[in-house]
Amino acid sequence: MAAVRRWLRLPASPIEHSVEGRAFVFSGFAVAVLAIALYGQDYVVPVIGVIAAGIGHVVSYRERNHKRGFWRQVFLAALVFGALFYLIADSALALFGGILPQANFAILLVAITSFDLKTRRNCYSSLWISLAILYLAAVYAWDYAFGILLALWTLYLAGFWIASHLKRMEAGVRVPARALTLMLAAGILGGVGWFVAVPQPTAIPISPLVISLPNFSSFKGDLESPALPLVQLTGDPTGATTSVDLHFRGRLGDAPVMYVRTGAPAYWRGLVFDQYRDGVWTATNHDYREMQPFVPPRFLPPAPPHNLGTFVQTFRVLRPLPGVINAAYPIESLYAPVTALREDAYGTFHTPGPLRPGQTYSVVSYLPDLSPESLRADEGNLSLSDYEREYLDSQALSARGRRLAADITNEATNPFDSVMALTSYLQANYRYTLDLPRVPTGRDPVDWFLFDNKTGYCEQFATAETLMLRSLGIPARLATGYATGDYDPILNQAVVREHDAHAWVEVWFSGHGWVPVDPTPGVPPLAATRFPNHWAAGGLARLIPHLTIGAPAAALGSVGALALIPVAIAIALVVVLAYAWLRRRRWTRGSRPARGESELLRLYERLQRRLGRRRAPPETPLEYEHAMHSSPFMGRWPAQPGRGDAGVGQPGGEDLLEEVTRAVNEGVYAGRWPNPRRVRELAERIS
Amino acid sequence: MSSASQEHSLQPQRAAELLERVEKNIHRVIVGKERVVRLALAGLVAGGHVLLQDLPGTGKTMLARALATSVGGTFRRIQCTPDLLPSDITGSSIFNQKDLSFEFIAGPIFANIVLADEVNRATPRTQSALLEAMGEGQVTVEGTTRTLERPFFVVATQNPAEFHGTYPLPESQLDRFVLAAEMGPPTEAEAMEVLARREHGDPIADLTAVIDVSDVIVLQEACLRVVAAPAIRTYIVALLQSIRSRPDVLLPASMRSGVYLQRASQAWALFEGRDFVLPDDIKLLAAPVLAHRLGMRGRGRAADMLGEVLTALPIPPLRQR
Repeated sequence: MAAVRRWLRLPASPIEHSVEGRAFVFSGFAVAVLAIALYGQDYVVPVIGVIAAGIGHVVSYRERNHKRGFWRQVFLAALVFGALFYLIADSALALFGGILPQANFAILLVAITSFDLKTRRNCYSSLWISLAILYLAAVYAWDYAFGILLALWTLYLAGFWIASHLKRMEAGVRVPARALTLMLAAGILGGVGWFVAVPQPTAIPISPLVISLPNFSSFKGDLESPALPLVQLTGDPTGATTSVDLHFRGRLGDAPVMYVRTGAPAYWRGLVFDQYRDGVWTATNHDYREMQPFVPPRFLPPAPPHNLGTFVQTFRVLRPLPGVINAAYPIESLYAPVTALREDAYGTFHTPGPLRPGQTYSVVSYLPDLSPESLRADEGNLSLSDYEREYLDSQALSARGRRLAADITNEATNPFDSVMALTSYLQANYRYTLDLPRVPTGRDPVDWFLFDNKTGYCEQFATAETLMLRSLGIPARLATGYATGDYDPILNQAVVREHDAHAWVEVWFSGHGWVPVDPTPGVPPLAATRFPNHWAAGGLARLIPHLTIGAPAAALGSVGALALIPVAIAIALVVVLAYAWLRRRRWTRGSRPARGESELLRLYERLQRRLGRRRAPPETPLEYEHAMHSSPFMGRWPAQPGRGDAGVGQPGGEDLLEEVTRAVNEGVYAGRWPNPRRVRELAERIS
Repeated sequence: MSSASQEHSLQPQRAAELLERVEKNIHRVIVGKERVVRLALAGLVAGGHVLLQDLPGTGKTMLARALATSVGGTFRRIQCTPDLLPSDITGSSIFNQKDLSFEFIAGPIFANIVLADEVNRATPRTQSALLEAMGEGQVTVEGTTRTLERPFFVVATQNPAEFHGTYPLPESQLDRFVLAAEMGPPTEAEAMEVLARREHGDPIADLTAVIDVSDVIVLQEACLRVVAAPAIRTYIVALLQSIRSRPDVLLPASMRSGVYLQRASQAWALFEGRDFVLPDDIKLLAAPVLAHRLGMRGRGRAADMLGEVLTALPIPPLRQR
């Protein structure tokens, strides 16, 4: 027990008396919340948090000299656990919208604890949590303006440090406000003058300031839209004239394109192409149908055979994207906050305009069973559309390409084996590279890839496989979009970056529909057929049942996990109560101020204010008393309102100062504080 | 008069009464000079030694004699001259013709209260013999160390204005006096009073002891029990620090002077019947305790510099936490 108590003991932190310091702490929090609002598009909890924290700061400043009330501490602890419950509920079930639950949790934490900012250490804790909130906002931030917020926070930290220490030293520092204002104004005017007068260099473009976020690299490429690099977009929302040109490809950066909160990893499919001519993929079918922004399941094809379940994906766009809904296919239902949606002939949804940063949309997708066993025994009667012939058009493939395809698949007895044979042949004998020379003029990129260069990137692999499958009579087409991205356990989201842009093959199986197959080396050729348990890589995220929503078994498990929450909260409350009890024991034993100390010193301060001159720091209480006795103030004091003659001296004024001074001296220098009743008596004589 | 000697622990109020009795007694001889009298007495209660400096004829010796008489105990006076030898102070062994052996004849240092008059007229060698006794409370004569009886209190006087034929005390030896006081000139009324008292004789002849040596020891013990709060220690340390940081100070205040300042303040508190030290005590005693040890650059006076420091130095915050 003693060891536990020793372990819990922290060195006492001084009470923070500096009102400026506390203002800096609050400002640090406000900046962090502003960052969340600006970069996270999250408003409700931040606004509530700032208001609550403001009230809390006032309360804790006014009560900084009081002892902490036991039951209030318990209440605040309970509120903290309430916030924790919010975190779990929101990240698991998106009960409150599911926007940035971690940041909201931190905001609530600061708001709650701001009612208990007593010591300097408390204030520092508040500042550090603000920094954590800033970090969470930084994940979404992608411009250098964020650096301003960070700089502001640093300024507030420094401000708090300085204010706190100045107050502690009781140094009366006066800020030279006039001089500072003048300097600032002169600086701004001078800067403007400099900008106007001095010619700007035009030869060297000034690149924006790069904040040191880890994955930044500047994008240089010769594509129209850096965010959807594989596809040549023409701005037509139906995708009618867009194309994929195999002759060139831009370099892809590390910048995040979107965050995906998903129940299972999948490829986020965008545009699909069926016609290949002269190294360029285009879509031939330009039909579309208009849809409402919310597309319920009844407007979409029924669940595919061998369906395992559904899973939800929420996409959060980070950079301007063309108006294409990237999502896992087949889609069960979707919602996008736009005026209308268009579904093209290939099942891809389009929005009227480009997707802006900060926009989100949600998709519920089926997870069909695409295991090799299921595909090999493919039996079905799903009919392909009228454009079947497009999916079998392989005239762009050279004769030796056809021969190669036939050679590779001569042992296959069913379409699936042919697909796998081709895929593994490409994966085994061709090398993946992003650093590719230009396709020689006059050569077909696929033929050049298959027989001369033998290295390529995903489009070449996918195109080659598509054409070879078509030459064997198996319908296939090219799908483009993004790979899953990297799972970030802190965000509990997959981060999709520019370099995750991808192209793969979709093969038609009459019992399964369009099945994605990826011939690119280094990745599994078939999509995952199970809800993976390892998807939640580790840490806290593993505890969040959200990740397994969709699969019935997992859903049951998550219900069980939810039932654990009240138990966990109960246990945690017991721990907190025990800790509070231990601390209470300690408080009563030792370091807390003596009875009557703060009351008497407050009274002394009040008396000084009443007397019209406060004790100077080098003045001892006795010297102050003597100085006040000989000063003209004493004759008029105390002026008693309501008794008429305020100017006439009241007897007892001098005695009171003398008595208080003696009590203060006895307390401070002999440790003998008067009991609070006596202090109250003295206080009554002031007013 | 010796009721206090039986008491084991002396109440501050009682200590104040005893001290007041002594002060009153001294004032039968010394007219005015309440502060100097109290400082000298504080030096005795603090268990240290006092240096009185001023021009001749200002009552230094009279004060020392009156103090010694009021306290009781043995009193010896050493008139320092350039030909005074260390053995004249400590004593020496003399061959006894009768029983054919060396016999130690104790010098004037073997007394409760010793007045070292014109101490700067003795040679440095003699001075250091005296100061060794002051510092250690013992003397070593011909290889034998003899402990001096307690209380042992030296009042040294010196005339700072006269340089001819003097050996000024070096700083290290000045540092051994707990405090130094200046008598200062008398006011007109005081001067008249002095003349009136001397009209028909010397009042010191009628002076008797009002407390005894054991009372002095009890007072010294009571002084040790006076509380110096952490804030007081903080204040002393801050004071020493700010003296050290002054550019016009060549020889800053030593740690010993800080200890003496605290001890003297404890003694001072007893005079007011307090059992705790106030920062006012420190302010009041800073000049008597510190000024004579400080080496100043240039012509500035240490007491003035101390006054400047004390008016600018904040006292420690009243609220400790």
